[in-house]
Amino acid sequence: MSEVTFKIDGREIKAEAETTVLEAARSAGIDIPTLCYHPALTPFGACRLCVVEITSKGRKRIVTSCNYPVEEGLEVDTRSPDVIEIRKGIIEMLLARCPKVELLQDLAREYGVEEPRFKLGDEDERCILCGLCARMCEERMGASVINFVDRGVDRKVQTPFQVTGDKNLDMCRACGACAFVCPTGAIKLEDITTKEPVPIPSEFEEGLATRAPVYLPFAQAVPNAPVIDKEKCVHFTTGKCKTCEAFCAPKAIDFEQEDEIIEVDVGNIIIATGFDLFDPSVIQQYGYGRLDNVLTSLEFERTVSSAGPTEGHILLKDGSEPESIAIIHCVGSRDEQYHEYCSRVCCMYSMKFAHLIKEHTSADVYEFYIDIRSFGKGYEEFYNRMLEEETVFIRGKPAEVTDIAETPEEEGKLIVQFEDTLVGRQRRLPVDMVVLSCGIEPTKDVESIARLFNISRSADGFFLEKHPKLDPVATMTDGIFVAGCCQGPKDIPDTVAQASAAAAEALAMISRGKVEIEAATAMVNERLCTGCQLCKEICPYSAISFDEEKRVCNVNEALCKGCGACVGGCPSDAISLSHYTNEQILAQMEGALT
Amino acid sequence: MARINSPKELEELRQKILSQRDPNKPCITLCSGTACHASGSENIAAIFLQELEKEGLKADVDFRRTGCHGFCERGPIVVIYPEEICYLQVQPEDVPEIISQTIKEKKVIDRLLYADPTTGEKVTYEPEIPFYKNQKQVVFGTNRRIDPTSIEDYLAIGGYRALAKALFEMTPEQVVNEVTKANLRGRGGGGFPTGRKWETTRDAPGEPKYVIVNADEGDPGAYMDRSLLEGNPHSVLEGLVIGAYAIGSHEGFIYVRQEYPLAVENVYIAIKQAEEYGLLGKNILGSGFDFTIDVHRGAGAFVSGESSALMTAIEGRVGEPRPKYIRTAVSGIWDKPSNLNNVETWANVPLIIDRGANWYTSIGTEGSKGTKIFSLVGKVNNTGLVEVPMGVTLREIIYNIGGGIPGGKKFKAVQTGGPSGGVIPEKYLDAPVDFDELTKLDSMMGSGGMIVMDEDTCVVDVARYFIDFLCDESCGKCVPCREGLKHMREILDDIVSGRGKPGDIELLEGISRIMARASLCALGQTAPNPVLTTIKYFRDEYEAHIEEKRCPALVCKDLISFYIDPSKCQACMICGRECPVGAISGGKGLVHIIDQDKCTRCGTCFDVCPARFSAVRKISGEPVPEAIPEAERVLARGK
Repeated sequence: MSEVTFKIDGREIKAEAETTVLEAARSAGIDIPTLCYHPALTPFGACRLCVVEITSKGRKRIVTSCNYPVEEGLEVDTRSPDVIEIRKGIIEMLLARCPKVELLQDLAREYGVEEPRFKLGDEDERCILCGLCARMCEERMGASVINFVDRGVDRKVQTPFQVTGDKNLDMCRACGACAFVCPTGAIKLEDITTKEPVPIPSEFEEGLATRAPVYLPFAQAVPNAPVIDKEKCVHFTTGKCKTCEAFCAPKAIDFEQEDEIIEVDVGNIIIATGFDLFDPSVIQQYGYGRLDNVLTSLEFERTVSSAGPTEGHILLKDGSEPESIAIIHCVGSRDEQYHEYCSRVCCMYSMKFAHLIKEHTSADVYEFYIDIRSFGKGYEEFYNRMLEEETVFIRGKPAEVTDIAETPEEEGKLIVQFEDTLVGRQRRLPVDMVVLSCGIEPTKDVESIARLFNISRSADGFFLEKHPKLDPVATMTDGIFVAGCCQGPKDIPDTVAQASAAAAEALAMISRGKVEIEAATAMVNERLCTGCQLCKEICPYSAISFDEEKRVCNVNEALCKGCGACVGGCPSDAISLSHYTNEQILAQMEGALT
Repeated sequence: MARINSPKELEELRQKILSQRDPNKPCITLCSGTACHASGSENIAAIFLQELEKEGLKADVDFRRTGCHGFCERGPIVVIYPEEICYLQVQPEDVPEIISQTIKEKKVIDRLLYADPTTGEKVTYEPEIPFYKNQKQVVFGTNRRIDPTSIEDYLAIGGYRALAKALFEMTPEQVVNEVTKANLRGRGGGGFPTGRKWETTRDAPGEPKYVIVNADEGDPGAYMDRSLLEGNPHSVLEGLVIGAYAIGSHEGFIYVRQEYPLAVENVYIAIKQAEEYGLLGKNILGSGFDFTIDVHRGAGAFVSGESSALMTAIEGRVGEPRPKYIRTAVSGIWDKPSNLNNVETWANVPLIIDRGANWYTSIGTEGSKGTKIFSLVGKVNNTGLVEVPMGVTLREIIYNIGGGIPGGKKFKAVQTGGPSGGVIPEKYLDAPVDFDELTKLDSMMGSGGMIVMDEDTCVVDVARYFIDFLCDESCGKCVPCREGLKHMREILDDIVSGRGKPGDIELLEGISRIMARASLCALGQTAPNPVLTTIKYFRDEYEAHIEEKRCPALVCKDLISFYIDPSKCQACMICGRECPVGAISGGKGLVHIIDQDKCTRCGTCFDVCPARFSAVRKISGEPVPEAIPEAERVLARGK
């Protein structure tokens, strides 16, 4: 493409030959007002607000900048008296059509247009017939379900469903692109389609907010680049759209990219696969998922976060501020029905919540606990501070959270039914919001990870370390280490400490540059091996592999610890331990006995 | 039908057709154009055939149904060859007489002839009727000599000779040069030089290239293209093929309104016949040039006559104009180079090629060559289609051809160019009619609509009519046109119904300024013309409506009252009987009085009051005189 030089408002500008005057002006920071223009859509030239006066080949005329291509030697005046007169006229006409549209009121103020001299239109009329919705639906969404009907002064925007009343004709996907692109808020999705929109819940915001199909997972995500959700993206589901591409100036969007599996040769692996939050919906008596305003701790965490969906405002479903909040500890932890272990972090984060609630609202906070486990540095002090902040600590695990009121005071509230074990009495406490301090549990895919690395898990399901005291980050397999909650519940300081230790262990091996292997390792007698692979199952160190070609098993001497499990387990006596063969043992025995 | 494979074979076929025709054999031709069709020519044709059969004259007399003759005011028209005896307003009962008298006895039936309205003198032969005598029918004239459904008729008068000449004796460049030299300008309205347009399309990059016939004529009262396409479709096809050859196009479209059923039918027949003769399709006349035509029937939108809207419609989308900063000649249908001309322009092409640019430029004015067909309608004696050389004055068209204003009324103005044109007042009646002169008068040639108005026409009402028409026919895409028209209509509605305010005229002018410069297509840019020209030439009438609440032409219903002059009323009771709302009181010997509260101003009383009394008056801008006292109502008739 060639470059052309021309002038806008006296300024010399260079632009690619295919660009329009509007695009060139905007890249140069020169503002031209538009209503029907959208960078991702074909120029329509309907609103005529973007008119400019050009001098081309010695001839002056008025053109719309949104679709006039730049040319060598062109002179553009974006604010000539004629241009201003036309823009004022157009704004006046549109304002008369839609007197209550703020966008037009603002434009009118900017251009000094006073009360239109014409008959005013309906106050409810918001549509300026810019056609953005129709073009978006057709050009990008590929649905073509919204368009203009009638002509002349009767022109309006409609869908086939609105025209015919036939729901079978409702081909709208309820994607909402039309409403999104509408500059005046004239389109409400419920007027357009009989279908319900399906919002995409934001994973990071725990479903409390929605996200677009192209999104940044969260503000601190690494790498800090947006991703496209292939399952939801209109381009990947219908082949159309590509709107994001039109907006991305550095042309960074590549629809051809495919998921790929990358193989890396490494000497050490640190497993830090984290944890899942206990799903409290299985504890039906707490009503999570059934009762509004019963939240998990992570949902509440997003709610109080200033970067969260409510910008840190603690709000009930109806948008009001709660007057009382109950926080229930040990949800899923220290419970024979779910997890017997203590999740270690819930007491402290629950108290942090209490502190934040007091900071953000004037609500009363009730902490229902079994025991307060403020085990870390400074933790007990924080507990004491909470007591001073008048957080009410109630010892007793609630039996039920319900919305069935028994007294007028309980009307419209959530009632926590519990036994105050310090008093020894059954009580009911009406509150506005209940936060469930859910415990930590192994990730759902923990088993497949364990199988992949052939590492063991303890009874609670977390990965098993080599030794709880003497080797807490190593696993039974040399070179594989664990860190963080995948090994067991722990808070952030402990996780960081363990991760540092695992890194140090790995570095130690790397700096040594070589590994010491056992002298006494198992050996397979290939002539005797039947290829039954029983030994492979038995080996706790994943040291045995099967040779598909020879149909026999092999021992990786670097991994073999010489434990002898395979030797005893081999049904055909094909495995022996070097230096400890049957013949050698027998000879030793013979020697000892003679 | 055998395929024609060379120009020689074409000439041989022509000679064969001519040799089978005896120029002295009587031939009855009956106009079957739309207007005559509406006056019953279909029925008359059947009776003619029946009578000829009955009289046993079938073999001795030819009967031919032709295209429109143009003199639609006096249809159905029958012309008897070889003498060219012309009978006007022929009724079914006249048929046996025509056969017995004129065909058999060679006697002229006096009462069916044209009679000069002033002298009463009869004119026997068609070319001598003043309506025709003052025209120069080079394009339209063939209409009355051929049957539009017969390609043989067209071949007999030299049809497709120009095509053979272009294909075998000229290069495409020479064809373009000839058209450029002839200075043929687009007859659809804009007057753009056709040769230059062709050259742009030919030189534009991209294949395929398309050529298009714009037969989406939609101006109120205009039917030139319709009659041409109905009456002589082959002339349009021939022009199109020549144009396609010159441009290098192998695919053409005819965009014709679905509301023109006869045109659609005749075009289909013509295409089929031309294909069978090898004048369309592969290897035309053995020249190696291929060209096919598709007919696209319009869905009834005036704006689709605009070239970019028409092309959008051919693509299968809603016919809406698109910006033309890159000309459609370069980027038209499916963004391919597309050359569009209207029916009349294409029909001029074979003439230019056949007779040469020098002949063509001998007709017309400096800037506008050739002839132009106008649809002369409104308050004029001879309504119909007239073809005149460019440069003829409005007065010649309206008075010499059109026969002046009926009923002895005074000429007021003529509207040219349809809704995009303007109103031209009496003082410019001697202006020559060509592209440039009409533009100077703030009107335009347009496609050739010419609506004559007499003193009983209110120009404000006319302007309101055109704006109302455009409110419905604008596509509504761009703001200035859609919203501007809406507000113009509101203001004009107010003015004609007595709610006009000072400043309304200036507001109309203000809206017009925005529309003219900012609208997307020519429809919006020219839409204010009827308003602007009426304001320019008849500002006093606008002011009378607004300030005095008076309609000088006594048309605008809300501004007029009907009043029975007691000194003239003869108490005949006719108006009282006819009044649809019973607003007139009075009885035998009792002067009639209109109850102004009940009166709907339908004008029935005015129309039915016997001319010798003329007691009912229209008044405007002044109060209705008090009703005379009851005692004085009794009419004292003189013996």
